[in-house]
Amino acid sequence: MTDRGIIPASGYGAALLRALKSFGLLRESRVGMIGAGLVLFWIIVAIFAPLIAPYHPTEQIEYDLLPGTTGPNGNFFLLGTDQRGLDILSRIIWGSRTVLIWAPLATLTAYVVGIVMGLAAGYLRGWVDDVLSRISDIILSFPVLVLYILIITTFGASKINIVIAITFASSPGIMRIVRGLVLDLRNRDYVAAAQTRGESAWHIMLVEILPNARGPLIVDACLRLGYVIITIGVLGFLGLGIPPPDPDWGGMINQSRQVAMEFPHMTLFPCIAISSLILGFNLLADGLREISLRD
Amino acid sequence: MSKKSKDKMHPYIPELVNKLRKGEVTRRDFLNTATLLGVSAGAAYAMAGLPAPGRKAHAAAKKGGNLRVSMNVKATDDPATFDWSEKGNVARHMTESLVRIGDDGVAQPVLAESWSASEDLKTWTFNLRKNATWSNGDAFGADDVIFNFRRWLDPKTGSSNQGRFSSMTTTSDTGNKDENGNAIMSTTEAGGALEKIDDHTVRFNLNNADLALPESMADYPALIVNRRFEDDGGDLIKNPVGTGPYTLKEFAIGEKATLVRRTDAPWWGGETYLDKISYIDHGDDPAAQVAALASDQVDTNYQTSIEQVGTIKNIADLEIYERVTAQTGVARMHVTAAPYDNKKLRQAIQACVDHDKMLKFVYRGRGGPAEDHHVAPVHPEYAELPKLKQDYDKAKKLLAEAGYADGIELRIDCVANPPWEQNACLALSEMVKPAGIDLKINIMPGGTYWDVWASTPFGFTAWTHRALGVQVLNLAYRSGVAWNETNYSNPEFDKTLDQAGGILDPNERRKVTRKLEEILQDDAIISQSLWRSVFVTANKRVKGLYAQVALEHHYNGVWLDG
Amino acid sequence: MLIFVGKRIGFMILTMVVVSILLFLLLELTPGNVATKVLGPYSSEEQRNLWLEAHGYFEPFYIRYFDWLGNFASGNFGDSVRFKVPVSEVLWPRLANTAILGIATFAVMIPLSLILGVLAGMREGSKTDRSISIVSIVTTSIPEFASAVFITAILVFWLKLLPGTSTMTYGFDIVQLILPAMVLIIYDFGYVTRMTRASMAEVMTTQYIRTAVLKGLPYRRVVMRHALRNALIAPFTVIMLQINWLLSGVIVVEFFFAYKGFGALLLEASLNKDIYLIEACAMVAVLVAVATQTIADIGYTYLNPRIRFS
Repeated sequence: MTDRGIIPASGYGAALLRALKSFGLLRESRVGMIGAGLVLFWIIVAIFAPLIAPYHPTEQIEYDLLPGTTGPNGNFFLLGTDQRGLDILSRIIWGSRTVLIWAPLATLTAYVVGIVMGLAAGYLRGWVDDVLSRISDIILSFPVLVLYILIITTFGASKINIVIAITFASSPGIMRIVRGLVLDLRNRDYVAAAQTRGESAWHIMLVEILPNARGPLIVDACLRLGYVIITIGVLGFLGLGIPPPDPDWGGMINQSRQVAMEFPHMTLFPCIAISSLILGFNLLADGLREISLRD
Repeated sequence: MSKKSKDKMHPYIPELVNKLRKGEVTRRDFLNTATLLGVSAGAAYAMAGLPAPGRKAHAAAKKGGNLRVSMNVKATDDPATFDWSEKGNVARHMTESLVRIGDDGVAQPVLAESWSASEDLKTWTFNLRKNATWSNGDAFGADDVIFNFRRWLDPKTGSSNQGRFSSMTTTSDTGNKDENGNAIMSTTEAGGALEKIDDHTVRFNLNNADLALPESMADYPALIVNRRFEDDGGDLIKNPVGTGPYTLKEFAIGEKATLVRRTDAPWWGGETYLDKISYIDHGDDPAAQVAALASDQVDTNYQTSIEQVGTIKNIADLEIYERVTAQTGVARMHVTAAPYDNKKLRQAIQACVDHDKMLKFVYRGRGGPAEDHHVAPVHPEYAELPKLKQDYDKAKKLLAEAGYADGIELRIDCVANPPWEQNACLALSEMVKPAGIDLKINIMPGGTYWDVWASTPFGFTAWTHRALGVQVLNLAYRSGVAWNETNYSNPEFDKTLDQAGGILDPNERRKVTRKLEEILQDDAIISQSLWRSVFVTANKRVKGLYAQVALEHHYNGVWLDG
Repeated sequence: MLIFVGKRIGFMILTMVVVSILLFLLLELTPGNVATKVLGPYSSEEQRNLWLEAHGYFEPFYIRYFDWLGNFASGNFGDSVRFKVPVSEVLWPRLANTAILGIATFAVMIPLSLILGVLAGMREGSKTDRSISIVSIVTTSIPEFASAVFITAILVFWLKLLPGTSTMTYGFDIVQLILPAMVLIIYDFGYVTRMTRASMAEVMTTQYIRTAVLKGLPYRRVVMRHALRNALIAPFTVIMLQINWLLSGVIVVEFFFAYKGFGALLLEASLNKDIYLIEACAMVAVLVAVATQTIADIGYTYLNPRIRFS
């Protein structure tokens, strides 16, 4: 089996063209560009973490060094070291990996579940809609953070459990949005055409409806990514986040907070990192929304 | 037992004085042993040629005021089952212990006026204070003390004191079997262990010599409650009856505890300065109490974490009190659970640790390096062993012999707060890495962690200070005791421990302790992180305060200046 | 309208039942040794078993659930394992404290964000609009725990202006409310501002406003008389939903400032697996969620003439 056989090359080309086009559109929105820049910056940092991080993120070198100092062995610490002797810059760089792997993963699984539920509820209607809507109403009527805390305290703090908790708590919200979009789209001509062609319900939902609902969903996904990053940060802050020694921005803030009055830099840099990434996603969402309104 | 006069000095004392004069024992060893044997602190200091310790009367001391203390307020209903020093601190202002460990780390009399031991250290006579009264009108006496000991030794009470006073118990087969067919054993009070001589004299007849007996009576679960405690509902909060200078006015778990001066009768110890003591709970966030101290919302606190010391030093109104202690943390392994039942594996972990580096990174060097045997340099019987060295070749060899030549993945459970505990786990994880051990750290919130602290195969436990090394060895490493968290059971160790409790000569005792230390270190059941100093912060207006080794609050001599 | 409210109450009861069963099940999976929590880690096996039996823990799950349900319906919420008092004794005062914090926060945040939102939305793309939009998007991107650290560092440690914790040990003290409310406002005002701005901007582009401006009516009058009412419908819903958000949004702030409120209570209950307390808190949360949603829906219908008359 060759790669070429599966999807026609023209498919690739069209997809690429579309992606380029939406990126081109993004250029019309200044905030969108800034947002994309911030996000892209952190993605590049995360990808090249092993190359740019000067030290291993859990290597204990010398504690309490101020930014820009040279350590006892001639090691240079651009952002200083924390109270445990770990290089802050390296931890922020490696921490970007943690956040950019687990936050999007959690958001993605939430979207998969939410989209399937939303498509089913909006397209099939009837009892499926009733049941799914009730379930989502029930989950949504419960404070989100409390849900996270209960799930994490019951099943333990691990990356997978964080993903499960976020999926469980966010998918109903996504389902609502998808359902609303589907209700709007299900009476369109192309859906009717597909129905007369005799396409299966899932084919119609995934191939005909979903691609047309993607605009608002992408905007929502960007905003939601921001919230998920905050949530992972809050869990880290409450000591329920990604277990050490893996570097995690929320955890870094939580741990260095004890010394923040003496060495503000230990808290300040991870705060800037997490806020800039969230800001990136928020600006990106804003830019995308602006563009979609213009269409 | 031959004739004993309750006021007679223990026969060993003159010899001890002699040794001190000849320089064969140190002043510290002398003070410690002499006070344990019932020599009053004043007399012991005089014999050692030192100025007398104790509460100096402050000419400038002012009466009155409310001391506001930041500390977690936990359920404080029954002192016998206390498991946190904080509980003892609230209760200690109401209910007192027989003995306490003072500022100088030496046993001081509280409700026991004096005590004496037989030559073989198996019979101890305690003379109780005659002028102490309970806030319910009862006179304090031998009945109260006997009632408390009987309660502690009763397995139904579930008190950790049962292990503390194991020399007063016997263990027998109940005749029943558990699910696995093992006999269910029951530990109860030994016949004749408790003897009331008169209304103010109690004698303890022990199964084995126990020099640490007075020290054990100073631990926080050994606060003496009224003899009608159980009839009155067994709840100190609902029915705060005590002999102490204060009584409880307000109490809410997780919020506050307010104690006010007792008015019904004068306190036996004379007058205290403070009118009121208010404990304020700032939750599980250690940063909150620093914020409270900085903005003068509280006067002092329970403990300042090592990370906060620098911040506090930068605030002009605040003073830091430091004390070197035998408080420590151990990464302890269940010797009965795989893979930790493999001694080679445990020794491999031990060989990876650089204790000086551990102390530096986990505790900023404020304390001492530990040696994996839980006897501290501040303990009077401490014997110095050759220093443990980090040796990765040895670790790898041991690991291979244990059957893990390709490395092994382990997981340690650790409580989220205080931070130094997880930092110790982090440092351990880093240190074992080069040997091929991938140590994962499972951080748990306190509420969950304390469910598993004893049952997890590999966990990190913090231990508080105890005045004698044998005390903590008895509590934690003797076969079958309540706090034995390693499931360690070594008859030779137990026998040696019995022996150590009966030796009076500090130098002889040190030799036996050395053997105990070697056994524990060789079995490598714990990887001990460090000996830590403790820190207490107070506003400069608080006078007469000290950081007590076990973070106990002794506020009877504390006053507020302005 | 009555039918609508009745339906909502029915849904609320259904939600409460489902949520309470789920919570019971969740905690059933990890029993967490309730007896150990109550009696302490050094209690004997025998003691623990006696306690468990006396408190009905050996009964099957469904019997315990129905017992709880019956008690709950009759107003007996059970005893808290963590606080050793009946649940209602801790729940109501804590809820009242959070209500106070919530009112203080809203009293500042709502006028602030409505004014900023209207100012920004009035002239879309203007300098005012752009600066307000940027400020509100940046503040929304800073998590509460980050801003709390730095606000405390500046106002408590450096300038020594405000008390660092808000335990209210000696009675209510409004000064202690400032920091927690400030952190909440900084985090949340941007969101409401942006919603108001979007709504205002949309109204400003509608036909009748354009007509009014073209007719030569003074711009201020157009905004005050015609645009505002319509522009504030959407933010009203958003604000109602913020009440629901606040229940969990306060957790970080209450934890940080040691404020004895509902969020801190819920956190402590969850960390200590205090089942009856968790259940009671959850029921309160569901009640608040459904009630605010219902009020938002009714209010929306009432405020929006297009819906009312159609």
